[in-house]
Amino acid sequence: MYRVWLKNEISGEIQLTLKAIFEPESIAVIGASATPGKWGYTILKNMLGNGFPGPVYPVNPKATDILEQTCYPSVLDIPGPVDLAVIVVPISHALAVTEECGQKGIKGIIMVTAGFREVSGEGKQLEEQLMGIVDRYGMRLIGPNTLGVVNAHAGMNASIISKLPAKGGISFITQSGTLGLALADWTMEMGIGLNIVVSTGNKANVDDVDLLEYLADDKQTDVIAMYIEGINHGREFMELAKGISKPILAVKAGRTRSGSKAVFSHTGSLAGSDDVYSAAFKQAGIIRIENIDDLFDSALALSVQPAPAGNRVGIISNGGGASIIASDTCERLGLAIPGLEPGTRASIKELVPKFASYSNPVDTAGLASYETYNGIVKHMLRDPNIDALIVIYVHTVMWDSRIPANAIVDIHRGRCLKPVITCWLGGAGTEAGIDILKAGGLPNYPVPERAVKALASLVKHHGFLKKVKE
Amino acid sequence: MNGNEERLWKLLGDWNIPVLPMAAASSAGMAVEVAKTLGHPVVMKLLSRDITHKSDVGGVILDLGSDKEVKDAYHGMMKSVKQHLPEARIEGVVLQKMAEPGLEVIIGAKLDPQFGHVIMFGLGGIFVEICRDVSFRVTPVDREMAREMVLEIKGSPIIEGARGRESADLDAIIDVITALSSMLEKNPDITEIDINPLIVYSQGSVAVDARMLTK
Repeated sequence: MYRVWLKNEISGEIQLTLKAIFEPESIAVIGASATPGKWGYTILKNMLGNGFPGPVYPVNPKATDILEQTCYPSVLDIPGPVDLAVIVVPISHALAVTEECGQKGIKGIIMVTAGFREVSGEGKQLEEQLMGIVDRYGMRLIGPNTLGVVNAHAGMNASIISKLPAKGGISFITQSGTLGLALADWTMEMGIGLNIVVSTGNKANVDDVDLLEYLADDKQTDVIAMYIEGINHGREFMELAKGISKPILAVKAGRTRSGSKAVFSHTGSLAGSDDVYSAAFKQAGIIRIENIDDLFDSALALSVQPAPAGNRVGIISNGGGASIIASDTCERLGLAIPGLEPGTRASIKELVPKFASYSNPVDTAGLASYETYNGIVKHMLRDPNIDALIVIYVHTVMWDSRIPANAIVDIHRGRCLKPVITCWLGGAGTEAGIDILKAGGLPNYPVPERAVKALASLVKHHGFLKKVKE
Repeated sequence: MNGNEERLWKLLGDWNIPVLPMAAASSAGMAVEVAKTLGHPVVMKLLSRDITHKSDVGGVILDLGSDKEVKDAYHGMMKSVKQHLPEARIEGVVLQKMAEPGLEVIIGAKLDPQFGHVIMFGLGGIFVEICRDVSFRVTPVDREMAREMVLEIKGSPIIEGARGRESADLDAIIDVITALSSMLEKNPDITEIDINPLIVYSQGSVAVDARMLTK
C-alpha cells in the first residue's frame, strides 16, 4: 500500500531531481581551486579527467581560469544551464553560494563543505538555514559534509576518489565518507565494478530512503551495498526495502550491545538498537553483512551470478583440504552438500583417477586438466540435486592456472542458469587464471571461506525473494 | 492499582491475552474474603504507585493456602514495606490465583525511536537474563512471523517438548505475540511492556505478571 503511494505521488519528482545529482548534463564546481592539494582542486581535476561528456564550470571569484577552464566569479555568470553544483567553499560562504544556485535554477547540490550539524549547535543552525534555501528553490542536496558522488557509467567523479572505479552493477551508499572512499579504492584493486558511489554525509536532505528508491529504479544498478551507522526513517526504509527485488546488502556499524542501563523491563534492557536493526533488516530482506570485506565479496557474487533455485551446493577441487574447508563452511552457513545422481557419479568417475572422490565434494586427486574441469563442471551443473557450484583450483607448479579457468569459462559462456563461484588458491601463479575468470564474469575469491560466504548471501537473497512472492 | 497498572491489565483483557483472576483488597479481612472467592492458593502483591520492584521490599508473597496464611501475609507485608520504604504510599494488595506450573516465557515490546514498536520473545528466567536467548521483530507481527520468532531462539526445542517433556502450546504463544502486536498499534504511547512470565501449558497460556511504561 505504502509503496504504491510513495511511487505515484512523490517518487516521480524525487527521481527527477535526484537525476540532476546522479546523471547531470552540466556541472559547476563552486570553490574550485588552482592549488594542488586543496579539495577544490582535487574535485575539479577528478571531474575533468574521467570522461564526463558535459561541460564542467569552475566557479571562484578569485581566479580567471583553473586547469585550462574558464573560471566564473559566480554560478550566475555561467552562460549555459547547470544541473548540478558541487560546493567546496569555506562554510562562511556556503549559504550565499547555495542561494545563487537556487537563482540559477540548479536542481542538484553536492555539499562537500563541512562544519554544520556534525560540529556544533551553531553548525546545526547553519544547516537549518541551508535547508531553508534548498527547500525554497525545490533543490535536492547530498550532504553537507559529504566526500562526494561517483557515477562510473556516466564518467562522473564528483568526489575526492583519485580514480574512477571500473564500471559494474554494484552501487554503494556509505555513511562514512573516508571509509567509503577507501573501499571504492579497494574495489578497484579487486577488479570489482561499481556504478554509483555516494557518501551521504549529514543526510540533511537526501537520505537513505531517497537513495534506495533512486537506486531501485536505476537501470545500471544490480546490487545495492550500504555502510550504515544509523537510519533516520527506519519504518519507511523497511517498507521501501521490502518492495525492492534487487539485493540489498548492509554493514551496520556498532554491533556491540550497549544495553540501556535503565532496567524497567527485561525487553527494555535486552532490545539494544543493534538487535532492532537486525530484526528490521531481516524483515525487509536486507542481507546484513558482518564485515566490510564480506560486503563486497557478496555484492560481487550477486552482481554477476544468477539466483540459485535452492541451497544445495556442489564442490569441485583438485585438493582435498580446500574442499573440506569449503564444505565445512557451507554447513556452518546453512548450505547443503547433497549427494549426486548415480549418472553424474558414473560420468565423473570416467574423468578422474581411480583413487579420486567422484561424489560431492568431487576431488580430482590433483588433476587440473581442461577435460577434467570442463567435464566435471558440466556434469555437476546438469545434476538436478545441485543448485550452485563452487569450483576450487589449488595451484601447484605442475599445472597452469589458466587451463582450468578456461575450462569453466567456456561452459559459463553458454549462459549458465546455476551460479558458479570460483576459488583459485595459491597466490603467485594464479593471477593469469584469475584474470580469465574475471573476464568471464566468474566471481573469484582467494580462500574457500570467502567464496562460500558470498554464495550464502546469494542463496539468502533468493530465499527472501521466494518468500515474498509466495 | 496505579493508573498504568490498571490500564495494563485492562488492555491485556481487551486484547484477549489470558490473565489470572485477580482482585484488590485494602485490609487483612478483605484480603481473606477475596482469597476465598478466588480460591486458594493465592499470590499477594503489594499495591503501591511508588514501588516498581515489589519483590525487593517483600511486596510479593506466593502460595497462600489458607485464611490464616493470607491474614498473616497481609500484616507481614505491610510491616516489611514500611520498614524498607517508610515514605511509600500503599493502597493495599492485589490477590491473584496461583498459576499452575508450566513453561515460563517472556513476551515484551519496546518503542524504538527509528523503527517503532519491536516485540521480543524468549524463554523465562535464566534463559532470558543470562543467555540472552531472545528474538525480535518490528511490528506488525503476523502469525507466521510470530511462529518464526518462537522457533528461532536456541531454546525452542524446549517448547516443542524436548527430552520427554510435554510440548507447550505454540499457537497460544503466537496468539499472545500477535495480540500484543495489534494492541501496540492501537496504543502508540506504550514505550515498554513486559509480560513476564507468561506461563504456557500443553493447551493455553496465562499472563501471570506484567509491567508497562508509557510516554
